[in-house]
Amino acid sequence: MSTTLTIAKREFRSYFDSPLAYVVVCLSLLLLGFIVFFGVPRYLPPFWQADQASVRSVVEALPWGIGLLVVPVVTMRLLAEEKRSGTLEMLITLPVKDSSVVFGKYLGACALVASLLVTTLLYPILMFQVWHLGALDWGPVFTAYLGLALFTAATVGIGLLVSSLTESQVIAFFVTFVTMFALLSVDFFGEHVAGPVGDVLHELSLLGHLSSFQRGLLDTGDVLYFVSIAVITLMLSFRSLESRKWA
Amino acid sequence: MSADVMIYAQELTKRFGSFRALDRVSFEVRRGEVVGFLGPNGAGKSTTMRILTCFISPTEGTAKVHGHDVFDEPLEVRRQIGYLPQRAPLYQDMTVFEYLRFAADMRGLDEGTFKTRMRKIVEVCGLAQVLGKDIGTLSHGYRQRVGLGQALVHDPPILILDEPTSDLDPNEKAEVIRYIKEIGKDRTILLSTHNLSEVEAACARAIIVSKGRIVADGPLDQIRANTGKTRYVVAVSEQGEGAPGAVEVEQAFTALPGVSKVAELPTDDRAHAFELSGDKDSDLRAELFHLVAGKGWTLLELRRDAQTLEDVFRDLTKGDEQRDRKLGVAADTSES
Repeated sequence: MSTTLTIAKREFRSYFDSPLAYVVVCLSLLLLGFIVFFGVPRYLPPFWQADQASVRSVVEALPWGIGLLVVPVVTMRLLAEEKRSGTLEMLITLPVKDSSVVFGKYLGACALVASLLVTTLLYPILMFQVWHLGALDWGPVFTAYLGLALFTAATVGIGLLVSSLTESQVIAFFVTFVTMFALLSVDFFGEHVAGPVGDVLHELSLLGHLSSFQRGLLDTGDVLYFVSIAVITLMLSFRSLESRKWA
Repeated sequence: MSADVMIYAQELTKRFGSFRALDRVSFEVRRGEVVGFLGPNGAGKSTTMRILTCFISPTEGTAKVHGHDVFDEPLEVRRQIGYLPQRAPLYQDMTVFEYLRFAADMRGLDEGTFKTRMRKIVEVCGLAQVLGKDIGTLSHGYRQRVGLGQALVHDPPILILDEPTSDLDPNEKAEVIRYIKEIGKDRTILLSTHNLSEVEAACARAIIVSKGRIVADGPLDQIRANTGKTRYVVAVSEQGEGAPGAVEVEQAFTALPGVSKVAELPTDDRAHAFELSGDKDSDLRAELFHLVAGKGWTLLELRRDAQTLEDVFRDLTKGDEQRDRKLGVAADTSES
């Protein structure tokens, strides 16, 4: 476990050795603020027009920001860059299991996205605790953030898997972006398709499984959905890394 | 297998699709040996090293490092070795100190041991001036030193170094070879290179691979003796009355008993110079002198050398070059 944590620490710190982490965190917070206070036409009303002590706009905008911007940027280099630069050979020939390499990198990336999530809590804290813009019910906020944490665990797993399949960060970014877009938007298609196909599309949807968390509900089926994606993608990433031995 | 054997490879074969990178490679490296692993590019050196460090698996065959099987006990194998892959791929965003600390943490070194080892590494590898610098800002030579440093951080009994001097300038190469000789005093080292002078400087034994097969293995003197020939350089004046033509000189040398090969050397218009190969341990200088004197030619130079390791290497691996040229022709043909 210590080698896993050593790799995770190195990974987490490496984000802050380049402008990447700062740009992603700042840009995400700015975009989120813009969406919260100006809204998205026909989808999210501006905060002042909603006239509710709610962080609905924050928790509904975050999955799109995390899925389409943060996760592709954070995960694109995880294994792809190591393979391209040759550092993977140096890393794997240290006394470390392949599974520790995969899990360590996963934890490092999750920690960065989780840090971003924690910083977004500044919005409800400042709006409702410091400036007293209303009496916020914190229960649904915490379940929504729990859902977002599970969403992060699943999507970082997807990004890691894509990164393990290529040596190009650019390819890893675009494939992750497209995959995320498909999994985020599949719910909209599901609403317009009747019958079992619609049900399947709804079951696949990341947003569909987040909705109960956003309403303050804790559904074990939804928890299992996100955990399953994380576990399966980690196992596939491990297999992908291990496949170099038999190439 | 003797307890003295630190690296043991038995019938190692590795195929990448239809390409056979290694073909039944077997060798042993004993405790305290510094062995040069020689071969042209693509001969299978790095593939062998990657198998020994458990980065890839062989298609067939077995290998053991310090008595541990590379397939069944990869973590034990990696604990016993220090490995520097080709071109020292390091995390460029880390400082030298951070990187060495990372390597030490990965190897489970405690703080006290790390400090002791750091002092030694800084001294042996000459890293005192760059400890706080980002690796990305260092020259190739310093990166190789850092790579050597991380390989030494846990004081391993076995070092596997894959072309540690590639991309270095001559001064840096000499420095790295000096480090290898220094650290090789009390370790087993397998050193891959295609620079023969480095092997002659640092190793007592060499293994030469060509097209995935071992073509020579033994002490350098023995390799020279087993495969070598004696080389003569003879220059005859082509100026003055009765001076011979190049063809005439070449025919005369070729007809001399004991001469197996005659090749003209580039020279100016005052002499015909030839390189002759004779049997090993032979001495044809007297016969050559009498031949030239008997013909009434003017002898300008007569020299006898033992064959260099470079000549041996070229002889043993020349098939690789020919193969590359044939493939090149095939590719050109298919493109056209």
